[in-house]
Amino acid sequence: MIKVRIPTPLRPLTKNQGEVSVAAASIEDLVNNLEAAYPGIKARLCDDKGELRRFVNIYVNEEDIRFLKGKDTALKTGDEVSIVPAIAGGSPWPA
Amino acid sequence: MSHAVTELVIPRPILDDMIAHARELAPHECCGLLAGTDRIVHRLYRIKNIVALEGAHYLSSFDAAKVAHLERLSPAERAEIAFVMDMQDFSTAKKDMRQRGLDLLVVYHSHPHDPARPSGTDIKIATDYEEIWPKINLAVPSYLLISLMNGEPEIQNYWIKSGQVSPAPFIIR
Repeated sequence: MIKVRIPTPLRPLTKNQGEVSVAAASIEDLVNNLEAAYPGIKARLCDDKGELRRFVNIYVNEEDIRFLKGKDTALKTGDEVSIVPAIAGGSPWPA
Repeated sequence: MSHAVTELVIPRPILDDMIAHARELAPHECCGLLAGTDRIVHRLYRIKNIVALEGAHYLSSFDAAKVAHLERLSPAERAEIAFVMDMQDFSTAKKDMRQRGLDLLVVYHSHPHDPARPSGTDIKIATDYEEIWPKINLAVPSYLLISLMNGEPEIQNYWIKSGQVSPAPFIIR
């Protein structure tokens, strides 16, 4: 099983769990298995072609999957996956 | 926490580059990172503001009121009141920092029409992010705001911890 850290904006989809465990041999696998367990999550992470959206990062043991093999990045038991939303903010109005 | 002990040092050319970034993108918000060693900034990374990208505001900790407001605006207008960092740019910057032996020190963004103070949205997202920084092997940065509302840029730097904002003084050298 792979431990996956879920950021606050996605927790409404994971019954408010900040960490979930899923079986997966690759990132693509992991995203599909997350989607099966928590419908709606895949569309937040990937575009129509299955590529990671630019406003989210997936780290495997602190390395961005973009610098590994993207969605083909292999996973093994004990790996820690973090879903990291974009740093964001904005001006006060409407506060 | 020990980061209050030393004031941040921002060299004048880097400060000027940051102000130029804010002015170039106005009326849209700019965003970026400052990295260095021993509280001295050595490098600035401009990061693209992708708030106008389809779906960007859904994954960014904006509260329901901010999302509703963003959805009423055109993509160009969205960038006047919010920023979402391009995380591909962010990862490239993070990798460059690691290769150069630099620490992330500051996350900056501009408020083209508003004061150099963190908004409610800024505070909420920074607080959500506190638990993320250690997971990606980075120390919690301070947050620097550049206001252009009065013509002359006003720059302030803050710590945001558990929803509390406190000044993070800096020296220009």
